[in-house]
Amino acid sequence: MPRFQSVYCDFFYTPLTEDVEQLLARFQQTDSVRYEVFSAVWREMGFSDVFHGVTRVGELKRFCRVTLATALKYFLPPYSYQIRVGGLYLMFAFYHTQLAAPPVKIRVPLRDWAQVQKFLKDSVDSGHMDVLYIYQKLVSIKAIHYTAMPHFLSFQKQRKPKKEPVCADFIGRTTAIQELTSSDMLEELTNIQNQYEKLKQATAEVSSQVNMTHRDLSTRLQKCMSEFLTWQQKTYSGNQKNKKSGDDDEEEEEEEEETPAEASSSRARLLSSIKQKSYKNVQEASKSRRHRQAEAVESSSSGPEHVQEAAQQKKRPVSLRARTTKNLPMTDENITQIWHLSAPDEQAMIRKRSFN
Amino acid sequence: MASSHPPTSNSNIPDYEYLDVNTKPFHIGSFRNEWLNRLKPSDYSYQRDDDDTFDANFMKEMGVGAETMAELKSICSPDSLRCHPEGQQPDTELVPPEPMLQTLIQRKKRQDHRANQKMSKNRHDLYADELERLIVGRKPESTADIIPEGEIVLTINVYYPITSERINTSRPHMSLLMTGSHSLAELRDAICCVSDLQVCGEFSNTPDLAPDFISKDLFKSSFFFFEGVFYNDMRFPECQDISKTTIEWAKARNYPAFTQAKMEDTRFMDLTIKVGFPYLYCHQGDCEHLVIITDIRLAHKSDCLDKKLYPLLIRKDRLLTQKCTVCHLFIGRWFTTNDQYAPSDPCLFCDKCFRALHYDAAGNKLGEFLAYPYVDQGAFN
Ligand SMILES: [Zn+2]
Ligand SMILES: [Zn+2]
Repeated sequence: MPRFQSVYCDFFYTPLTEDVEQLLARFQQTDSVRYEVFSAVWREMGFSDVFHGVTRVGELKRFCRVTLATALKYFLPPYSYQIRVGGLYLMFAFYHTQLAAPPVKIRVPLRDWAQVQKFLKDSVDSGHMDVLYIYQKLVSIKAIHYTAMPHFLSFQKQRKPKKEPVCADFIGRTTAIQELTSSDMLEELTNIQNQYEKLKQATAEVSSQVNMTHRDLSTRLQKCMSEFLTWQQKTYSGNQKNKKSGDDDEEEEEEEEETPAEASSSRARLLSSIKQKSYKNVQEASKSRRHRQAEAVESSSSGPEHVQEAAQQKKRPVSLRARTTKNLPMTDENITQIWHLSAPDEQAMIRKRSFN
Repeated sequence: MASSHPPTSNSNIPDYEYLDVNTKPFHIGSFRNEWLNRLKPSDYSYQRDDDDTFDANFMKEMGVGAETMAELKSICSPDSLRCHPEGQQPDTELVPPEPMLQTLIQRKKRQDHRANQKMSKNRHDLYADELERLIVGRKPESTADIIPEGEIVLTINVYYPITSERINTSRPHMSLLMTGSHSLAELRDAICCVSDLQVCGEFSNTPDLAPDFISKDLFKSSFFFFEGVFYNDMRFPECQDISKTTIEWAKARNYPAFTQAKMEDTRFMDLTIKVGFPYLYCHQGDCEHLVIITDIRLAHKSDCLDKKLYPLLIRKDRLLTQKCTVCHLFIGRWFTTNDQYAPSDPCLFCDKCFRALHYDAAGNKLGEFLAYPYVDQGAFN
C-alpha cells in the first residue's frame, strides 16, 4: 500500500503560482484596479475550476491553504499598488470559491499588519471604494485568521529552498522614470535651478564660495533618465511585442503604427495623465462617485514599495538582465513575458497560449 | 519577503530566524497584546455583522450614498466569480476536460497516472474531516466554558519517540489545539505514548492480573524543555525533578545556565518560544519526543469554543497495527518467549489465541513459556 504523498504540502505550488501570475498580468494590462475588471479576467480564465478534481479532503484543505497564501503574497509589498489590489481580489475570490468546508481562512501575520493598514489608507485617499469594500467584507465575514506567521511551521525545509525571484513587471517601477520624463518635473527643476543661480549671483559673498549644486543638474538628470529608458526599452521590447501580437484589444490598435519606444512612452504619458486626473477626482468629485472615476493604475501614494525600489535598483536591474539573457533568449520563436522569470524555460511555449 | 521587513525593535512581533523554517523567540502573551492593540474588538469577535449592519457601517465610514452602496454590492458579489452558467455547475470532483490552467493540467496528468495505480483511501484524511465537522464553531452549554474572544490558540505537533526505529520522524504522531490559558501539565496529560501504557513484568502464571498497573501511574516524572528552561511535572508527591541531573551536568561543564520551573504553573501565555522550532518532551525516564508549536493565532468564531473540549486533538497518525501471528485478525496483546507452541521467538498473540493455546479451560498454564503484555503502537487508533 503506497502511502499517499501530498502534492500541496509546501507553502506554494509552482503551477498555481504561474496561473496566478498569468491572471495578474492580464489584470495589469487593463490598467485598472476595478473589481469588475478583475472578475471578468477571473471568469475568462475559468479560475473557479482550479479547485476541481481534488477528492481527498485533507489534500483539498492543503490546496486551499496554498491558494490563499499565494494571493496574500501578492497583496503585500514589494508589489505595485495595482498588483496588490489584484492580490486582495484574489484572496476574496479564492476564499469564496474554495470547496473546503468549513472554509480555510486567510492568514494575516502580525508583522505585515502595518503594510495592510498603509494599503488601506492609500485606497481611502484614492477613493477606491471597491477595494475597501472587498477588504471590509473579508473582515466582516470572518475570513481572516490573525496569526504569528503566514504559514504553519514545522521545522521543515521547503522543497525548493531557492528564493523565488519577484516578478519584475509586477513591481511598481517600470513606468516610474517614464512618468517622470513626461511630467513637467524637469522643467520645474530647471526653473528652480535658474532662480537659485540668479539669487546666488546676486549675493556676492556667497556665490564665490558655495557650490553645492551642479549647474547642469537637470540636463544630467535628463541624461541619466534617458539612459535608463534605453536600457529598459531594450530589455522590455520583447514583452511589448508579445503583448501586442497576443492581444487584439481595440484600444491597443491605435498604437499599431508607433515604434515600441513611442508606444511605451505614450502609454506612460497616458498613465501620468490618468494619475493626475485621479488626484483631481479625489478633490473634486463628490465622495459617492469616487469609486467609479478613479481608474488609475497607480496609487496616489509614493508608498513603501517605491521607497524600496530605490534601495534595490542598484543591484536588481543587473541581475534581471543577466537572468533574462541567460534564461529567456528573445528570438522570434520564443518571445516570453519578461516577468515570468520564476518559471523554467520549458514552460514558455505553454504559457504563450492565449486563454480566449 | 524577509527583505521587506526592516529589523523591528519590537521583539514581540514574530519574525523568521530561519526563513520559512522557524521564528525568533517571542513572548506569547505579549504577541497577543500586540494584536489586540491593533484590532477593533469586532475584528476578532465571534459575532458576525448581518449584511444590513455591514452596509450601514460602510456607508457611514466611507461616506458613500445608498446608490453607490447598491452598486458596490452588486458588482462585488461573490456571484461575479461564477465561471459556469447557473444550474450548469460541473462535477467538482472531476478535473475539467481540456483544462487551460497549469494547476489543472498537472492535476489531470497525475490523476491519469494514478488511475493505473491502486491507492488506498486515506483514513487519516477522513478521520480529520469527521473530527473537524464535529467541532466547528461548537459552543459550550454553559457560557462560563466559552473560550474568550481574543484568546490565543496554538497548534502543537507531538512526534513519535525518538528511539523508535519504525517511525518516520517527519510525521507527527498527533496535532493538538490548545489555548494560551492552558498549562504545560495539560499538554502533558494530552500526550499519549505507548510507553505510558507499557506493562512491566512477566505474567504467564497470572495473565488476568497483568494490565492492572501501567507505567504512567508508576513513573510520573516528566519534563518539557523550552528555550533553556526545564518545565517539570511536580503535581504528585512521587514526582522527581528529573531535570536536576542535566542541569548540574551542564553547570559543571560551563554550558549556559539552564533553569527550571513547574509545568503545572506555566501557561502557554507565559512562555517565550520560537514557532516551528523542535523542543523536547521527556517521560518514563528516557522516552523522548519532539514537540513543535506550528502555529499561534487569535481564536476564531469557527474554532471549537468549548473550553472543556481542549486540549483538542485535531490529527492523529494511525500506524499499522501488529496482528496476531495465529489469526492475523486481532491486534497483538501478548508476546511470548521460550514458547514451545509458538512458530517464532518471540511471538505475538491476540488475547483470544494466546489463552486458547496456552491455558486449559480452567485457566491452568500448559507447558513452559514466558509471557509479557504488549501494547501496540497503533493501540490509540
Ligand atoms: Zn513517550
Ligand atoms: Zn489471534
